[in-house]
Amino acid sequence: MGENSLPGEFDLLVQGTGFTESIVAAAASRIGKTVLHIDSNEYYGGQWASFNLEGFQKHLSESPNFQATQNWNTDESETSEWTKENILKTSRRFSIDLTPKLLFSRGKLVKLLISSNICRYAEFRAADNVCTFEESTSSLKSVPCSRTDVFNSKDLTIIEKRLLMKLLNSFLNYKDEEVPEEFKNYLGKPFLEFLKFQRLTPKIINNVMNSISMCDEDALLEEGIEKTKNFLLNLGFYGNTPFLFPMYGCGEIPQCFCRLCAVFGGVYCLKKPISKIEEKDDEISFTTDNQVIKAKKLVFGSSNIPEELLSSEKKTDHCCGGLSRGVFILEKPLGSEELNSGGGGVNFLKLPGGNGGAFILQLSHYSGTCPKGLHLVHITSKSSSTPSDDLQPFVEKLFTDEHKPLYTAYFTLPSCSSKVSTTENIVECCGTFFELDYDKSIENAEMVFKKLYPDEEFLPRAPDPEEIIIENEDPTAISEHTLPEDLKAQLLLEESSKEV
Amino acid sequence: MHGRLKVRTSAEEAARKKKEQDLKVKAYKAAMGRIHQKRSTNELDQEMMTLSGQILARNPDVFTLWNIRKESLLEITSSLEDEEKQALFDKDLGFVEQCLMVNPKSYGAWHHRCWILENSPSPNWQREVQLCTRYLKMDERNFHCWDYRRYVVNKAEIKPDKEFEFCTEKIKHNFSNYSSWHYRSKLLPILQPHPTVKSRPISEDALKEELELVLTAAFTDPNDSSAWFYQRWLLGYSQPDLDIGAFRMSKDKAVIAFTKAINLKSVTEFSLSSLNWKSVSGETYDNTWIVSEASLPEEFIGDSSISLTFEGKTYSLELKNQETSVFGIKCPKFEYEFGAGVVETLKAQLDSCNELLEYEPDSKWTLLTASLLMRAVDRKGYHEKSHEFLKKLQNIDSNRKGYYEDLASKWNIEKKLEEFIESGKTPTTLDLSKLNLTAFYYEQYLSVFDELNFLENKITQRSLSKLKAFHFASKIYLDKDIV
Repeated sequence: MGENSLPGEFDLLVQGTGFTESIVAAAASRIGKTVLHIDSNEYYGGQWASFNLEGFQKHLSESPNFQATQNWNTDESETSEWTKENILKTSRRFSIDLTPKLLFSRGKLVKLLISSNICRYAEFRAADNVCTFEESTSSLKSVPCSRTDVFNSKDLTIIEKRLLMKLLNSFLNYKDEEVPEEFKNYLGKPFLEFLKFQRLTPKIINNVMNSISMCDEDALLEEGIEKTKNFLLNLGFYGNTPFLFPMYGCGEIPQCFCRLCAVFGGVYCLKKPISKIEEKDDEISFTTDNQVIKAKKLVFGSSNIPEELLSSEKKTDHCCGGLSRGVFILEKPLGSEELNSGGGGVNFLKLPGGNGGAFILQLSHYSGTCPKGLHLVHITSKSSSTPSDDLQPFVEKLFTDEHKPLYTAYFTLPSCSSKVSTTENIVECCGTFFELDYDKSIENAEMVFKKLYPDEEFLPRAPDPEEIIIENEDPTAISEHTLPEDLKAQLLLEESSKEV
Repeated sequence: MHGRLKVRTSAEEAARKKKEQDLKVKAYKAAMGRIHQKRSTNELDQEMMTLSGQILARNPDVFTLWNIRKESLLEITSSLEDEEKQALFDKDLGFVEQCLMVNPKSYGAWHHRCWILENSPSPNWQREVQLCTRYLKMDERNFHCWDYRRYVVNKAEIKPDKEFEFCTEKIKHNFSNYSSWHYRSKLLPILQPHPTVKSRPISEDALKEELELVLTAAFTDPNDSSAWFYQRWLLGYSQPDLDIGAFRMSKDKAVIAFTKAINLKSVTEFSLSSLNWKSVSGETYDNTWIVSEASLPEEFIGDSSISLTFEGKTYSLELKNQETSVFGIKCPKFEYEFGAGVVETLKAQLDSCNELLEYEPDSKWTLLTASLLMRAVDRKGYHEKSHEFLKKLQNIDSNRKGYYEDLASKWNIEKKLEEFIESGKTPTTLDLSKLNLTAFYYEQYLSVFDELNFLENKITQRSLSKLKAFHFASKIYLDKDIV
């Protein structure tokens, strides 16, 4: 074995450090499997990575399947603070997500981060505002969603406040077992129709439809109830909205799982392409850096399929990817000063539209993803043609003359397109989905894990150091030596009184 | 299994916890034993501070130890110079803070804090205000801390407008906060007193703003009662100010009634103080005081008013001379009388309530607010309508049927009483029959009537004790089935 060579055998080889693969790696390592986690890229995260501005530009230009276009529109006069050069000087202050996300504060991912004790590796900012686009003024408005917001809102009359609160409470208390009268007649009918019948004002209907439930126009009442309820149940944990944003970008999240995997013994290598994958007698062998390594099982991400496994057949049902993305750098943030008070934070907007609409995220420097004085806007929609065409309706709406982006980039996160020959021991992980949170990806990761290790627990809570029993120790033992000093001192008193 | 960490099972963990608990009890007993022993020999020294500190740091609710700590601190610091003294007191303040982290609602710890500051040579009140701000950020509803804040703010001479700002900020953050609403009701009368009417706590402009704020809270979350209580206060449905309400005296008996309970034995400058006054209830404080079998001073019958002084304030009542008695009555203040500006606000709020009732005809709190607003806007004009709402409430909110019935009784008696007082008649008889009364209200005012008719009502047993107050009544008509 050479100096830098790896052990020759692993229980599991994970190829690609995207979100889903990283969870699988962590889960396998957690149950005691030996894991080799490698990526041919020189960065973590694959399609879930974050880059600084220069890295981002480079990545777009080097990814032919991204259909990327980039455009600078800076004011190059001498008085201008943010010339192209000045912005590029702050490149390292950017952390631009390929796949920006928000986490529901009691959503699957947060629960998983807490239950598996991974949360200690990450830092979050509570999203500051859930916004709506007010057509009449062409501007962003904060949507009052918590009780505190509704109370303080100046956009709602007191009657609207009452109607909104009552409506939200009726969703919150909704139970499938005893459907209230007002819901009964609308089950199986469009959510919008139900809302329109409730004698609500258009403003409230718009808020509930587009910002709170984030339903498409044709969504049924059942979906509306479920999504509204979910939104409301995630309120009140952190800040004033139901969302969390990972500080320094979403690229941090896969790495949290990698860290957990490493803590339990997982081995990591970046910039390690693999080749010559062969499966023989329930054992997989592959070559990397001229070393032949064996593994019992193999998992890879769909954006990074080993050539040997590619089949010539094209996929007809694309399950993941297929996202059109826009990244914009602004000097003057979208929305009023009030919406961005104190320098802005994390503002979220869901815009309705054909094909599922778009998720829009505006980030200030407080998110740790862009320099002070600039704002980063992410738009994500499903792709149907070129990314710029797909996003055009949203871009026209948002970026009026007042808010011209200094830098614009469009790209596609391609959908999985080729069929893969997988086996019992070789499993593919999906890429990114069109969803705000990570629910589908976590489901996917759990599914992959269960395929590999059907009888094992998926990411049980990682123990705190004090819970771990050191070899041959009596697990129920407690000695007076481990007591805090003050209790020890008190116990000494008893002994001294006995002596007297 | 290779590579797996061994972690305690829950049963093992429980067994370990139990062992730990036993050790803690043993330690506690040992320390407490030593403390009692030391106290019996009056050893109030540094060791006492250490021992009491160890226990309090884990359980700040042992009152005895706080007291022992006070004794010890006084003893230890008795011979020290101010500077050294202050250092020790400051150290103990730090210790209390540590205890408050364990239990932020420990009565003993908060009290000890006050005691330290009162006894330190140079207390830093400003620092205490900041401490409150910090604590209220962690829990904006900790009433111990609010209470302490009012105390230290007073000492630190913080301007009430600063405190008002703080209150507003807390309400905006979470209006479900009795302490903060209460503090407003204490600050506003200082900041924005009513310029002319003393009995009205705040100016009309301030009142308008507060009414808006509180209705917004009520519409946002009607199930939160804190806002309702504040609204009642704003509208004047709180305890009335002390005044003489009614008086009557004949050759052989007398009654004096007050708006609220008073100790008549401690009034001064009262021309009838020599009489043998007794409270109706037999309590020291009562709103109705009577004289039964005395021969009353003949010469008094000619007086045109009666006055007395209580706690530095003088109260008086105009009297009328009748053939056999003198009598006076002052219409109780059922609600505040608002200026035109506030009435406009109240009307707008009433409109909002009515509009909402179109959407939610059975909303109980809207019905109740609307009826209260109606009475504040125009009591007489809305008498029927407000009663209609109460009727409706008895059905919608049947768990509180009795409450609404009692409220309706109160309003009916108010109406009859007001009509009588405005008529200027002598108190021979008051007809309160057929009003669906379930209880007596304003019984101290009813004490002056010769005849009271309560027939065809729904008076219940529980109200009968109030009959004692009807001192002049020679005839009281009551339905058979309750007596």
